[in-house]
Order: sequence, then structure tokens, then C-alpha cells
Amino acid sequence: MAETSFTASRGMTVGVELELQLVRPHDLDLARDADDLLARLGKRKLPGAVKPEITESMIELNSSVHERCAPLADELDLMRRAVAEEAGVMNLRVCGGGAHPFHDWTDRRIYPNERFRYIVERYGYLAKQFTVFGQHIHVGCPDGDAAVYLVHMLTRYVPHFIALSASSPYYQGEDTSFQSSRLTAVNAFPLAGHMPFVRDWAEFVEYFEKMRRFGIVASMKDFYWDIRPKAEYGTVEIRVCDTPLTVEHAGRLAAYAQALSAYHLAERPREASRAVYLVNSHNRFEACRYGFKGELVEPYAGTKKRIGDDILETLALVAPHARRLDCEAPLAGLGAQVRAEASDASWLRARHAARGALADVVRDACTKWEKRDI
Amino acid sequence: MSDYQFLPSLPLAFSQLAMIGALLALGLLAGEAARRYFALPRITGYVLSGVMLGPEATGLLDSNALYDLRLVVDLSIGLVVFELGFRLNFEWLRRNRWLLATAIAECVITFAAIYGALIYFDFRPLLAATAAAIGTATSPPVVMLVAQELRAEGQITERMLLFTAVNTVFAFVALTLLLPFRQIERAAEWEPALLYPFYVLAGSAVAGYVACLALLALAGWLGKREGRQPILLVAMVVMTIGVAHSLKLSVPLALVAFGMLCRNLDRRHALLPVRFGELGQFFFVIFFVLTGASLEFGAFGVAAAGAVASFVVLRFLGKGLAILLLGRLSGIRPGGAGLLTVALLPMSGLAVVMVRDTVSLYPSFGRELAAVVLSAVVMLELLGPLATQFALRRAGEAHPEPRTRG
Repeated sequence: MAETSFTASRGMTVGVELELQLVRPHDLDLARDADDLLARLGKRKLPGAVKPEITESMIELNSSVHERCAPLADELDLMRRAVAEEAGVMNLRVCGGGAHPFHDWTDRRIYPNERFRYIVERYGYLAKQFTVFGQHIHVGCPDGDAAVYLVHMLTRYVPHFIALSASSPYYQGEDTSFQSSRLTAVNAFPLAGHMPFVRDWAEFVEYFEKMRRFGIVASMKDFYWDIRPKAEYGTVEIRVCDTPLTVEHAGRLAAYAQALSAYHLAERPREASRAVYLVNSHNRFEACRYGFKGELVEPYAGTKKRIGDDILETLALVAPHARRLDCEAPLAGLGAQVRAEASDASWLRARHAARGALADVVRDACTKWEKRDI
Repeated sequence: MSDYQFLPSLPLAFSQLAMIGALLALGLLAGEAARRYFALPRITGYVLSGVMLGPEATGLLDSNALYDLRLVVDLSIGLVVFELGFRLNFEWLRRNRWLLATAIAECVITFAAIYGALIYFDFRPLLAATAAAIGTATSPPVVMLVAQELRAEGQITERMLLFTAVNTVFAFVALTLLLPFRQIERAAEWEPALLYPFYVLAGSAVAGYVACLALLALAGWLGKREGRQPILLVAMVVMTIGVAHSLKLSVPLALVAFGMLCRNLDRRHALLPVRFGELGQFFFVIFFVLTGASLEFGAFGVAAAGAVASFVVLRFLGKGLAILLLGRLSGIRPGGAGLLTVALLPMSGLAVVMVRDTVSLYPSFGRELAAVVLSAVVMLELLGPLATQFALRRAGEAHPEPRTRG
């Protein structure tokens, strides 16, 4: 079965998918010009790929596979510029952020392709509510067993990725009080959650085949897990991040995932433990709700820790691998941000306080993502 | 009998309010019927109900009544062109230079095509130019209402609104520039004749500019919470309409300038996005009922039929030619140029107003013009909304589902 045979990745590779918001300038609500924009971008020579997403208000940037984070960041910036330019020609604006602050989900239109039609058919209104914007980070793994191990290891750090990327404080015109409200939209899906506690790739394949026999899933794509192995690419995919407000920050998150994975795969510091999954939903909630200030339960020691502190400790822990992978600068950037307690969510709230309306928040977010000078 | 003075005397004199209410209700029902039973745009229903009430049919709305309701027409036009102006984003024009070139070419070629046709039919140049200017404009209320009704969004819709804004400005500026020639034709003095268009153009622009500065300052003070801004916005728009009227400026030009400047001068983003929504609907219904009642079917004559047909056809071809030639350069999708041309078909209900103004200023001059222009208006007022609806649906920009919330 092609879907369950794990493609080996060479080296410690990393790649990124970014879901972006298309916004119309006159009222700063979501636009629906994905198709026209994709057609124009299709004519340009770009290193990665630009793809449609579930509704016509979204596009997705896919980077190519990189061994180092600096060229990845350069590539993301190149794609950003191309997208911003083409969007400008079409009277569109583009921004990051995990959710549009005030769009009405009933207005959304599903991108017309077979897979998305199937999702609407299956999930009804959840599909339109799923107009949320995430960053997915792929980390290459040598084999399936390593991928399963890495999923178990990285699950402990889910709150880190949530807190570091949190950029969806507003949803449906309200301040949700969360730092990241986006994951709540993902939680509604029956196949959301996490990978079961399997020991190796063989056991994982067994689980998958069973689910398929039951008719619960048709393919691996039907699992909306926070972190999942992706056999086809030979990667582990981290899916909990909100799309950050800048591509630079997206690059930093990718660098963190890469260093963290390198540390675990090289040193194998721990055995996989079920305890990680006992505390997972508590930790995840704390991160979504409070960001760096949330308190996570450290599953191996059973102690409580501020998420921000835990991130700083972890950054120190993976530093040797960061040096090896030339990604010290982006990790230093993340550390500074944690110390300053500056997240994209707090930036958005500050803009709202300064400007007074959510439409202005969206405009400012677009200006930030597009790097316009106005 | 004096004991019964509290009873109304016969025949009953209905107040304007009763009339406005009745027009609103009738128009609404007719619009709904058009949509439900004939799959026509609601506008067509509003217009047809107006036709039924108008002097050409039952005569319930005679020209006196129409004159009394001028205020409603002015308000509707003011609100519509303000909102249209607000959609005109200079930043877009800066980032897509071909767009403005295409929009201007659309005006120039359409004007030239209609002008040429009318000259061929032996109309005097001045008359031909006036009719061509009127014909260049696409109807702002029609395109905006159809787009709103279909919840249309996308590149064709955006361009349709942009081109409409540009050709409406073009038409009004051209008409104003033609004013001195008309006066000179009437053997008036040179000097005031030349000052007249200058006064109207500059005055309207200044009125729009002053209104914009005032609105931005007041909106900045008011802030954005609790939904106070829309009230301020309506207040300023209504006031500007009134001032433009009193100063004998061009209401549409002043208001389109007002909207455009608000959108593009609001550097600190004091304004919330403009959407008149429900209030707009209220005015739209009455406006189109009145437009229907003002349509002059009597203007149709066998003699003018050729000229009218050429007017309509060449107007369409002129718009099409410009958009087909330059559309691709401005990044329109393949096949989009044709649809955009069709979407721009509705002729301005403003044309009725323009012709009325001309008739009242220069009686004999106006009547000649009226025959051709008003006949074209009759045709395009009925076909236009259908064309726009067809084009936006075909472009895949109409929302597939009706709005579920109120």
C-alpha cells in the first residue's frame, strides 16, 4: 500500500505549509478570489507551490524541502513578495493570523474541487467554520519507526507551538479571551485529536488498516491530528500552529521544530510514554487560552511549569543541535519573544486598542504580512 | 355639519408620506414577485411596478407627484454614488496601471462610438455629444443593487464597480463641459458661459473635499464603537446633497468626490467600512419605482428607431472593444472581458435625471435629445439588470445560497 509505506527522508529536513487569508480592501472582510489569484501565481516561476484550500478565501503556500532554515526563510519571503504583488494587481490584500477576526462563516464558499466537496458533504457547516489558517511544519524522518517515536516526543511540546504561534484572539467579531481560538474549530472534527499510543510503524499501519476496514477513514488525510506521520513525504507533520503574522516568524517556528526533532532523533533522551497523552488536552488548553502564561503539566516529572519558562529551558536544551543546523539566530529570536511575552495575538490586541475596530486590525495585519510601507 | 369637521374631506388628499410608504410596499412586493415567479432581478420588478403606476399606464403617479418626490431621488443617487466613490481605491489603480487605462479607454471609445452613430443619423454635434456623454455612464444603482442582491464578489464584480465609478465621473464631467456650448448655442454671453462649467466642476470637487475633511474630523472624534458612525455618515451625505443642491452644483459629482476622497484620504483610518445595507435597500426600492414611472415609452418612434438601435448596439460594442483590447493587460481572466462588458450594460437611471435637467434648462434642445436617450433608457432599464445578473452569475461570482439571516 503506497499510503502506508514510509518514504525515507535524508538528513534533518524541514518544510512549511502556510494557509493565508485573502482580504478585500474596501471592508477588510475575507475575499473569495483564490482561483483568480492562483491562476496568476501559476504563471510565475516560484520555488515552492501555491495551492487552493477548503474555502475560496484561502490559499496555501508550500515551501520546498530544506536542510537549513535560512534558505527556507528566504524562499518563504520570495513567495510572500510574489503573492503580495499579484494580490495588489487584483485589489486584494493578504495576511497571516489563525482566524479572520470578524468574517461571517455562513458567507464562505467552498473551493470547487472534489476533495473539498467531499468534506462539505461529510461535515456540513463544520467545513465552512473550518475557514481558519494554520501553519504546518514537516520534519523529515529516516523511517516509520522514527516517525512514530518523534510524534510521541513532539506531543509534549504541542503547547510550545501553540503559544509561540498564537494569532487568533478574535473570532466572529469577538475577543475570545484566548490567544489561539483556531484550534477550537479543529476540535469539532470527529477525527481530530492525537495519534493513538502505538509503539512502531507496523503497529501504526495495523491501526490505520483497522480504521479503514471499519469504514471510519478512507485515507490518512482523514486524520486531523495535531501531529501526524506523513508516510508519502517521509515526515512528521506538526499542525497546531496558527499562521503567524509574518513569514519570518513562520521560519523561526520551522527552525524550532527542526532543532527539537534533531535533538530527539539524535539523542533519544526518553522512552515514549502514555503520560504525555494524559496531560495533553490540559496543556493544549492552557496554551490556547493563556499562551506563554499558561501552566503545563510536565508529563515525565509530573510538575507544573509556566509554558514560557518551559520554552526557554527547551531552547537551551536543543542549542547544540541548533548550532549544528545553523539555526541559532531564529531560535534566539523566539527566546527574546518569550521573554518579552510578545505574541502575534498580543500584537493584534494592541492594534485593536490603538485603532478601535477589528477592520483596522485586519488592515494592519495585511500591511505587516505584505511588508507594505503605508 | 360643523360637528363633523374632524372627518377628512373628500376627495382624500394623500400625504407624501402615505405615497412613499405605498410606493415602498408596492415596489417591494413587485420585486419579490419578479424574483419568485419569473427569476428576474428584483430591480426589474421595482421598475415594472413604477411603469404600471406611471403616467404611461394608470397615471397614479403623474409628473407632479414625480416632481414632489425629487428629494427621494436625489437622496438615493447621493447615497449610491457616495458608496460607489468609496469603492474606488487609488491604491489599486497605482498597483495596476492598465486598469485605469482600460477604464478610461472604455469611456472614450464608448463616447466616440455613440457620437459617431448619432452624427451618422444627422444629429447636431452638440446634441450627439450630450447623448454620447449620457450613454457612456453605466447605472451605479443597478450594478450595485444587482451585486448586492446576488451577494456577488470577485474580480468581475470589483471591476464592474470600478468601471462604473469611472464612467459615471466621465459622463458628468463631459456633460458639464458641454454646458457652455449649449449656452452659446442659445446666444448667451461668452464669459458666464465659460465660467459655468468651471463653477460646477470645481465647486462640486470642493464641496466633496470639505465634506470629506469634516467627516474625517468628526469620525475621528466620535470613535468607532457602538455603531454611531453610520449615522454620522448618513448625516454628512444628506447634508452634502442638500448643500450641493442649494449651490447649484452637481449632486452626483460632489458625492462621488466625497466618497472617493473619504476612501483615499483617510490616512489614519478614522472611518469604518461604508455599507448602507438596509437603508440603501429602502432608497433603492423607491428609486427604481420612480425610475419606472419616469420611463417615457412615448419617446419610441419609428423615425428614431434606427438611431436608438445604433445607440444601444454601439454603446455595447464600444465598451466591449476597450475591455477586450486592454482587459488582459489589466489581469482579467480569460473570458472575463466579455462578461464584464455585459455586466456594464445597464444604462444610468441618472440619464433620466440628466435629461430632465436639460429639458428644464433648454426646453427645445432637450426634447430632441430625449427621444433617443429616453428610448435607450427604456430598453436598457429593463434589459440592463438582467444582463448584469447574467454576467455575474456566469462569472461564478454570485453567491450560490440566499442569505439565511435577516
